[in-house]
Amino acid sequence: MTTRARLPRLVAAGATLALVTGLSACGEGNGGGSSDDGRIHVLVYGDAANKVEQQIVDTFNEKSDVKAVLDTIPGADYQKKLQTIISTPQAPDVFFNWGGGSIKPFVEAGLLLPLDGFIEKNPDLEKKFLPSVFESAVVDGKPYGVPMRGTQPVLLFHNKKVLADAGVEPPKTWDELLGAVEKLKDEGVTPIALGGGDVWPTQMWFQYLYDRIAGPELFAKAVAGDKSAWESEDSRKALGMIEDLVGTGAFGKNYDSVKYTNGGSVQLVASGRAGFELMGSWYYSQQLTDQPEFAEKDLGYTAFPTVAGGKGDPADVAGNTNNYYSVLKKTKHPEAVAEFLKLMYSDEFVKAQLDIGNLPTTTGTDEFIDGSGTPEYSRFQYELVAEAPSFQLSWDQAYPQKASSDMHKAIQQFFNGQLDADGFIKAMQALPTD
Amino acid sequence: MPAPSTSKVGRPGFVWALPAAVFFTLFAIVPLIMVAVLSFMSWDGISPPEFVGTDNWSRLADDPVMLQSVWLTLLLTALGVVLQTPLSILLGVWAAGYQRNRAVLSVVYFVPLLLSATAVSVLWRALLDPNFGIPASATWLFGDGNLFGEQATAIGVLAFVSTWQFTPFHTLIYQGAARAVPPVLYQAAEIDGAGRYRQFFHITLPQLRTSMITSMILMTVGGLTTFETVLILTQGGPGTDTTISAYYMYDKAFKSFDYGTGSAIALALVVAATVVSLVVVRLSGYDRMRGSTEGVS
Amino acid sequence: MRRRPNYAAGAGSFVWLLLVGLPLYVLLAATLRTRQDYAENGPVSIPDSFTLDNYTGAFDSGFGRYFLNTLLVTACVIGLVLLLVPPLAYAIVRSRGRATSAVFRLFLLGLAIPAQAVIVPMFYLISEAGLYDNLLGVILPTTAFCLPMSALILSGAMRDISPELFEAMAVDGATPRRMFFQLVVPLSRGGLSTIVVFSALQAWNGFLFPLVLTQSEATKVVTLGLYNFQTEHGIDIPGLLGAVVLSMVPVLLVYLFARRALVQGLMGVGGK
Repeated sequence: MTTRARLPRLVAAGATLALVTGLSACGEGNGGGSSDDGRIHVLVYGDAANKVEQQIVDTFNEKSDVKAVLDTIPGADYQKKLQTIISTPQAPDVFFNWGGGSIKPFVEAGLLLPLDGFIEKNPDLEKKFLPSVFESAVVDGKPYGVPMRGTQPVLLFHNKKVLADAGVEPPKTWDELLGAVEKLKDEGVTPIALGGGDVWPTQMWFQYLYDRIAGPELFAKAVAGDKSAWESEDSRKALGMIEDLVGTGAFGKNYDSVKYTNGGSVQLVASGRAGFELMGSWYYSQQLTDQPEFAEKDLGYTAFPTVAGGKGDPADVAGNTNNYYSVLKKTKHPEAVAEFLKLMYSDEFVKAQLDIGNLPTTTGTDEFIDGSGTPEYSRFQYELVAEAPSFQLSWDQAYPQKASSDMHKAIQQFFNGQLDADGFIKAMQALPTD
Repeated sequence: MPAPSTSKVGRPGFVWALPAAVFFTLFAIVPLIMVAVLSFMSWDGISPPEFVGTDNWSRLADDPVMLQSVWLTLLLTALGVVLQTPLSILLGVWAAGYQRNRAVLSVVYFVPLLLSATAVSVLWRALLDPNFGIPASATWLFGDGNLFGEQATAIGVLAFVSTWQFTPFHTLIYQGAARAVPPVLYQAAEIDGAGRYRQFFHITLPQLRTSMITSMILMTVGGLTTFETVLILTQGGPGTDTTISAYYMYDKAFKSFDYGTGSAIALALVVAATVVSLVVVRLSGYDRMRGSTEGVS
Repeated sequence: MRRRPNYAAGAGSFVWLLLVGLPLYVLLAATLRTRQDYAENGPVSIPDSFTLDNYTGAFDSGFGRYFLNTLLVTACVIGLVLLLVPPLAYAIVRSRGRATSAVFRLFLLGLAIPAQAVIVPMFYLISEAGLYDNLLGVILPTTAFCLPMSALILSGAMRDISPELFEAMAVDGATPRRMFFQLVVPLSRGGLSTIVVFSALQAWNGFLFPLVLTQSEATKVVTLGLYNFQTEHGIDIPGLLGAVVLSMVPVLLVYLFARRALVQGLMGVGGK
């Protein structure tokens, strides 16, 4: 018994010690986070691109009396956390967003600072950016965001070797794509790789086909609250084409079990087991890192095919126009924030973004492209975006964030046949638009 | 065995439970009460909340996804208990042996518990990739490998991965309990000529009774509130086919930013899980039990 | 045990070893190969490259700091749990008062509260208390959510202490306090190490509370840091898994250590 009695004391002493040292150490921690500490808090989506954001913050701090500090929120949960803090004293001064629907609720709640005041004093804050991109952060006629990363148009990528073996040319029209699908099927490869498990890759097919067939107006109407847009003839036509494409087996049978985000669909294309993949422009650098040999030799890319008889301009693009910095009304340092935003069209910013493979959307980007890692590819994208009459923001970003979950469900269910066209239309009409 | 005389034995007073109770009330019960209030409000986190009476509740009662989620939750919970209980008893009893290889293997078996949700998701999604994972090399079993594309297989995967992840914890409970079985009992049984299987059923299992109840309460409650496995593996899909209640709460509160409805689902879940655990406790006489020896007779 | 080997059990445990081992193999193999090798040959293949970049990369991205923060949170949570739960479990098992059984029911209720459900009120509570972006603000709720399960486990272990032992001590005129320190705590070492392991795991793998309750780099914990390997649309899987393995090592060590205490503790049950 005596030897045992020592243990509890040891445990108790150990616990107390851990607690006391621990708590006192915690007490010394900074009480940061709140923006009353005389600094500008810049909140961004936490990922590998943060080093550029940090670099820009450092550059800003060299010159400015008011210092900025970069806070990051782990990517996947960014929006959840933002929504929790934005109307509290813990809200940042400046924050990362996707424009469009991702800031609309904040604008309507009167939390955001319209940037027209800044722009009046410094017109460059608008003029230095590509108009189709700047447009995506305009809400109710007023600008609320300044582009702060790169543009990411969605492109149709292909494996050159697989296409050549099947005797297929990269398709320029929808009919050519359908022909290619048949030939690839005959070769025994999956014609189009799709990471249906992530759902957003599936959505890309919807947003391009709707734009090609009906033009950007249909979706603009729908997102503005006119739910009849979804029942229109054009809408049904687009749905019919998607149904046909899935029905021919273009995506194989198990696309819902494949993911893009774990490399599954990427590997399908790189290994020659699939011909095409529709994906955002980041795809190229993903392949370049993972499969350099394939990317340099056999990875081809084209714009999304045109659709005969469609109302949309064949030069339209869809995807993520850019990410934006928006400013909260409550910031105590609007002048310093305006200075900070200026850096988003500086040469340093453009170069740093190009270095990590992003394509900034300033009007000055052009002159730096030749010095970037992949000049040919960057130029292709830049020209595509600069010349596009309309840049369709990804659907789940154009709608208010709260609609995205139900939208993804509808898209996945229509694609795999759980919903018919009427069911899909009804589901889309039920989405909140404000 | 006669019941212990209770009157003269020095017993601890309520004050021993007080610090933990106060702490817990402050950081769990108070927020829960706030959740209860929220369930009668409409709130998106940005504009001021408004009282809407029982709107959230009546909408949920008519919501087919909610009703389906209740069935799915019960199904997955039952599957979890049915799969994990025998498995963890067998593994626990096996690991309770003293051979060195068992000690080493127990450590390996324990590792899944250490993996974060992200890691589990990445690993199993990679292993179950229809083109490059296990299904591709076992098409006789998996067909086209569309495990996440159909409801039945998606539920199967969820039950399997939960089992994979949480069996180690229950194994640990049974391992401890199996070690605590007095060796005298086995020696006596061997003298009586009882074989290994009779010993297992007549001595080991009855001796594990307290642990079984603890473990099954934990599994049931864990099953009812399972959330991360669904979040990381299926996101409730395809469509809403694996949307269990806890995930539906998350979906409403943090994806659709409808905190009122999310709170209502949360509260319903808490009530349901509490009722279930109280019923189990009552049926088993767990709260009246005073020592495992009473379970033997 | 001096008996013939149990072949059926051996075979069963071997099957389970495969089920557990294969993912673990994929995990370890992925962390030791280049991103290129992983992408080209798939996760299940045998690596044809060897690199430690995935581990060094994790440290370069600030993991040292995150580790310290997580360590601090874990130590504090374990400390608080060990201070709060043993007296609670003792009361649950030995007290006959109504108030105590009400407390037991309160904790059963607590078992069923998903952290997700209360996260929004929790945020307001913690920021009102001035603990936002302070590790203490993570420690307190994390501890609170460890309590129900720990109480259940430990009271389960304490129930197994034979009543005769209490009576024997009572005959000697022992106070509840003496019984607690001399009888209950030594004889529930197995349960104690289980709750240490359990709460260490909760604290170490905790994601939701740190996510919502902290903000700056200075208070970032490992689980949040793991996300740095994820970009908005893709993942560096070997890098991510390298960080995952690193984050597991300390808990595994705690388990190895606690495992011995667990075995010893449980052998003592029964008053031998």
